[in-house]
Amino acid sequence: MSRYFSQVMTIIWKDFITEIKTRELFSSMFIFALLVVIIFIFSINLSLIKATEVGPGVLWVAFLFAGTIGLNRSFMLEKENGCLQGLLLAPMDRTALYFGKLVSNFVFLLIMEVFTLPLFMVFFNIDLLPHLLPLLYVIFVGTLGFCAVGTLLSSLSANLKTRDIMLPILMYPIIIPIIIGSVRMTGQVLAGEPLSSMMNWVSLTLCFDIIYIAISIMVIDFVLEE
Amino acid sequence: MNQQINPESSHSIIQVQELRKDFGYLQALSGVSFNLNKGEFLTIFGPNGAGKTTLIKILTGLMRPTSGSANIDGFDALEGNAMLRSRIGVISHATCLYPNLTALENLLFYAKLYGLDDPEERANESISTAGLQLRRYDPIRTFSRGMQQRVAIARATLHDPSVLFLDEPFTGLDLQATSDLKDRLRSLHTGKRTILMTTHDISCGLEMCDRVAIQSRGKFSLFESVDCIDQSNFKNLYTKSLEQ
Repeated sequence: MSRYFSQVMTIIWKDFITEIKTRELFSSMFIFALLVVIIFIFSINLSLIKATEVGPGVLWVAFLFAGTIGLNRSFMLEKENGCLQGLLLAPMDRTALYFGKLVSNFVFLLIMEVFTLPLFMVFFNIDLLPHLLPLLYVIFVGTLGFCAVGTLLSSLSANLKTRDIMLPILMYPIIIPIIIGSVRMTGQVLAGEPLSSMMNWVSLTLCFDIIYIAISIMVIDFVLEE
Repeated sequence: MNQQINPESSHSIIQVQELRKDFGYLQALSGVSFNLNKGEFLTIFGPNGAGKTTLIKILTGLMRPTSGSANIDGFDALEGNAMLRSRIGVISHATCLYPNLTALENLLFYAKLYGLDDPEERANESISTAGLQLRRYDPIRTFSRGMQQRVAIARATLHDPSVLFLDEPFTGLDLQATSDLKDRLRSLHTGKRTILMTTHDISCGLEMCDRVAIQSRGKFSLFESVDCIDQSNFKNLYTKSLEQ
């Protein structure tokens, strides 16, 4: 078990060192998220629509699109120089590779989201500070499910020539329940409701997180096979 | 002329029997069988599309065959279990190295993945053996193709594998790098290590091997000890084998 954990940590260590050196993932994801928020702020008349009603959708669209760029890039890096083959030849369970990539992707997306939140707060003139903890919880749960599916499908699409197109086409229909749940919960959090009043959405999102991770563990061997 | 397997052969470290692989209507392997004894060096020649890479991918557990069996060092190669992967090393024209990491970081990464004791020391030792200690802190992307291949060999042999698979390792190397690689392979071909190499380079391939095979249209048309063939006439033998 300690060896399994060590292998997961080694993959995370490698991804972090690579990201610290290149800053490719964070910069591309953050700039894209920022652009999405800016485009929406200029296309919505906030004197007619309440920011707390439209804001959650905009926020999650920004997270979703920016996150897709990150997830796409995640396994493309492994394809360079045949590195994925090197990983598959190592004496480790392939779920260790999945969990390593899942945790890396999850942390990179969370960092991008944390940096996007203050800008969202400024542009939409919404005070997030009173709702910060429940909001972070919602973002945590939503991003986890998104990454669970995204990591699996990016490993699948990495072998395809049309990988840039295939990842969103495969992923978006599957993560609809998580995105709907996350948008609804974010809206209710911004409206000042406590998490306890939205337990149906919390349970639904958590259930999908668990289901997606469980399915990924079951199929990752077949997905990574040539 | 496939060599028949003797399953009782106690010396055989690689036993392959009737290995087949179909990609839809395309038959990449159509019944490959051979045995390789411990410490032997087998070179497989063959044209592009003969199924050489497919054979290595199946033997290393990267690909499942359509049918047949393969046993390496006492393990079923088709199950692709971790114990087998800790006993084999693979070198191909793809280096499996991360371009943005330094040579040392790459080796450290693989040493940790393989669960080696004292990974830092093993990575440092390997990079010294590769003769790249002065470049250990440089990113791989700044290395020449020949230097990258030296690090790739260090990566593949970090865990001291008993079987080494080489898939066209001379691809893209200049004369000096080819000569360096041959020297390194000779030093790796000690009595205990078995090596299986595919290549198009006839002189390099014949120079180092104990056994030679020609693979054509998914099967071996020749499998002989290198002492039993006329090396000066090998090109003609190769051409004839392909025409059969």
